[in-house]
Amino acid sequence: MGVGVTDSLIDGVIRGIDMFDCVLPTRIARNGTVMTSHGRLVVKNAEYARDFGPLDDQCSCYTCRNYSRAYIRHLIKSGETFGLRLASYHNLYYLIHLMKRVQQAILDDNLLDLRAEVFEQYGYNKPNAKSF
Amino acid sequence: MQPAISYRLIKKEKHTGARLGEITTPHGTFRTPIFMPVGTQATVKTLAPEELDEMGATIILANTYHLWLRPGEDIVKQAGGLHKFMNWDHGILTDSGGFQVFSLAKNRDISEKGVTFKNEINGDRMFLSPEKAIQIENDLGPDIMMSLDECPPFFETYDYVKKSVERTSRWAERGLKAHRNPQTQGLFGIVQGAGFEDLRKQSASDLVSMDFPGYSIGGLSVGESKAEMNRILEVTTPLLPENKPVI
Repeated sequence: MGVGVTDSLIDGVIRGIDMFDCVLPTRIARNGTVMTSHGRLVVKNAEYARDFGPLDDQCSCYTCRNYSRAYIRHLIKSGETFGLRLASYHNLYYLIHLMKRVQQAILDDNLLDLRAEVFEQYGYNKPNAKSF
Repeated sequence: MQPAISYRLIKKEKHTGARLGEITTPHGTFRTPIFMPVGTQATVKTLAPEELDEMGATIILANTYHLWLRPGEDIVKQAGGLHKFMNWDHGILTDSGGFQVFSLAKNRDISEKGVTFKNEINGDRMFLSPEKAIQIENDLGPDIMMSLDECPPFFETYDYVKKSVERTSRWAERGLKAHRNPQTQGLFGIVQGAGFEDLRKQSASDLVSMDFPGYSIGGLSVGESKAEMNRILEVTTPLLPENKPVI
């Protein structure tokens, strides 16, 4: 099914879907938006100009292990293709690993707990929450 | 004989019924549920296959419509198929091209035979039929292929969607007959029916009777609400066989 956002992925699995695909994670990455365990982050925004932390402090992908928000913001603002690569890598890693956590939760019979935890952290419980 | 694609249900989650499974393809075995990166033009934009492998991707999606128009499935076939052409040794799934024809193509004309439209790159008249979609996908050589379906807008009228679902079932049957490589490529059927529960049931029942190695739920995530998508999934997935994967 053509779904690539955190809430619909988990809710699709709960309703019996096994495989998902979507251009959204790579498309928004090239526009400077990334998915993190704390919700969407528009890394292009000015507030990250001097933020030397990773895109997501809970992520261990190549991008998050080696590069800062400030650097990725600079690359994307400058039209450097490496910035698009780093952001695309991170977003795909985020979704692939979200599904690994979902697999583990099925084994452990605690998928609804994982859903509640991920939804709270991502910000879906806030008023006017966006889907990605 | 071993089918190209097989699914093994490992466990159902106690409270939700969510499925942990394992899919075996000619290019590897992987656990589900999974997210598949999209490589529209036989490349996941900006990333190398080695990077996809490193991040844990086990199967990617490529688009039949785009690869048919450019470079052409004959070139991909001559290269030895998509896996060789793009240097990716794990799973590949292609869609049927239908979704793009219905969403992107101009001057479109649908009949029982298939769909004619204008090639956006060079202006040629193009014709996509269930048989043509299968021939292209056989030539591209993915592990999983999709039947040509009509993807009507979610809020079309009941009468239109009913006719469309019935045509999609006839097209699925024609595609199955045209499929040349069932030992190396698994062809999936696509359940349609927009927001109408009885049409979803009719579509699922038609396709299940044709015994595809897997099923896709089509026509969702096209602008309907999340509640509507969930409602349709809840009435559709229980109608599909437990020993087949669902996309």
